[in-house]
Amino acid sequence: MIKNILIMICMTCFISSCVVVKEYEKVNINDPDMILSEKKCDRNVVVAHSYREAAVGANGGKMGGGCGCN
Amino acid sequence: MAVTKTMFSSQMKKNIMNKSSIFICIPFLLLVPFVFLNAQNDQSSSNAYKKRVLETAEVDFLSSYYSQDGDNAAVTGGIGSEALTDATGTILVSIPLNDDDVLTIDAGISAYTSASSSNVNPFDGKGAADPYVASSGASRSDIWTNVSIGYSHSSDDRNDIWSVNVSIASEYDYFSAGVGGSYTKLFNEKNTEVSIKGNVFMDSWTPIYPSELRPFYGGNGVNNILFTQYTLTGNTDYNPRFIPFKTKERNSYSIGIGFSQILHKNIQAALALDFVQQEGLLSTPFQRVYFGDIDDSFIQNFHLADAVERLPDTRYKIALGGRLNWFVNAYTTFRTYYRYYFDDWGINSHTASMEIPIKIANKFTLYPSYRFYNQTAADYFRPYEKALSTDNYYTSDYDLSKYSANQFGIGLTYTDIFTKAHIWKFGLKSIDVKFYKYDRNTTFQSTILTTGFKFVMD
Repeated sequence: MIKNILIMICMTCFISSCVVVKEYEKVNINDPDMILSEKKCDRNVVVAHSYREAAVGANGGKMGGGCGCN
Repeated sequence: MAVTKTMFSSQMKKNIMNKSSIFICIPFLLLVPFVFLNAQNDQSSSNAYKKRVLETAEVDFLSSYYSQDGDNAAVTGGIGSEALTDATGTILVSIPLNDDDVLTIDAGISAYTSASSSNVNPFDGKGAADPYVASSGASRSDIWTNVSIGYSHSSDDRNDIWSVNVSIASEYDYFSAGVGGSYTKLFNEKNTEVSIKGNVFMDSWTPIYPSELRPFYGGNGVNNILFTQYTLTGNTDYNPRFIPFKTKERNSYSIGIGFSQILHKNIQAALALDFVQQEGLLSTPFQRVYFGDIDDSFIQNFHLADAVERLPDTRYKIALGGRLNWFVNAYTTFRTYYRYYFDDWGINSHTASMEIPIKIANKFTLYPSYRFYNQTAADYFRPYEKALSTDNYYTSDYDLSKYSANQFGIGLTYTDIFTKAHIWKFGLKSIDVKFYKYDRNTTFQSTILTTGFKFVMD
């Protein structure tokens, strides 16, 4: 598992070294729908998932605190 | 026996210490190459145009209405109604303090009504006590409040961002205080971003126990008025295993590292790796458990608890997630997400989701989405009446059972970049409305309606 994670990180670093998108080319990347996180209005959906599901983390949501018991 | 137990406990502590060290070290080790990589980029970008981090104050009003139902309530040991509704309102204010610094204030309130929580005390004298019928007791509803304050600072070249935050949250039987911080580094002409964050939450319980158990600790047991007022049926020699929890604190420590990369002028991706350690009272004091090897006792239609759930006082969680967003064309974007999660309670989980924003008009975007989730059961999960009185740990909380779930969503966003509509000095920038339906492969299902209004100051 750890090995696979390290390979993925190395591959991503390798890819990053090949491509440089200039600021003036980032109009599509800067589109609000391209944001690399949950949108604000989905925050309570993420909270509901963290209460009802065992899995948390790696989604920008809260990773602790609160009982989530209701 | 006691010596063996002590040795075992000592070995466990060593293992936990080793795990903690690994958790703390891994993110820093992974960051090392990026810090070196960054050195030469700093020089090239130091003369870049300095744009204000946040042009003007922004205010977000978020709200949601959540509803769920099912037949496996944890409060009643894996049977009974899970009906619950929750209404939440949040205000999120971001204020630019100067060109580089932003203050964020996040305040929320949430009010819920829960059938299962109501059955912490099912004997309200208004009809027969029944796990599938809500009681009218005080525990049927509660209000949760939360305030969080954050501060972020960006360097002149906008390649370094530091942030700190503090938060408190409170409800009737639970209080949480948190502090956190993060550091983000951008380089490779802002094509690459690496971040590290940490949070600590110091929580405390005011434990509430099922009403029929309370007379069995420092009380008069079956001579209590509860058992003389009502008729005990089944096993009339009711003698539950009940010792209140000594620890009332629950602490959570988390460290996360993030890495994002622009792969193409239309594609970007991100990886996130989070480690969480929890310790203290990880059981929920009012969740009943019924043992299969003890005769059942009832009052009316209600099965009296044999015990409350008992879970280990430590838990380690690891989550690895990835996102890939693709701007297909001016009308369509693909937003994809995957996460693998595992913990030392034996739970493994996969989450995959896709959202496809479609611009249907100049100011309107449609958001169809699908999300899949599955998890294996925790080692300590036992369905109704399957736990044994000889077990060390047990819970009948179906949120820790094996299941899979599908969620379908649809949303609509209105965006006006010119903010023509105004309330006082604030212009309306966007309105979001989204609806999600979530179904497990058990009887559990839920829906949530969310809305968001974003205003920017003139």
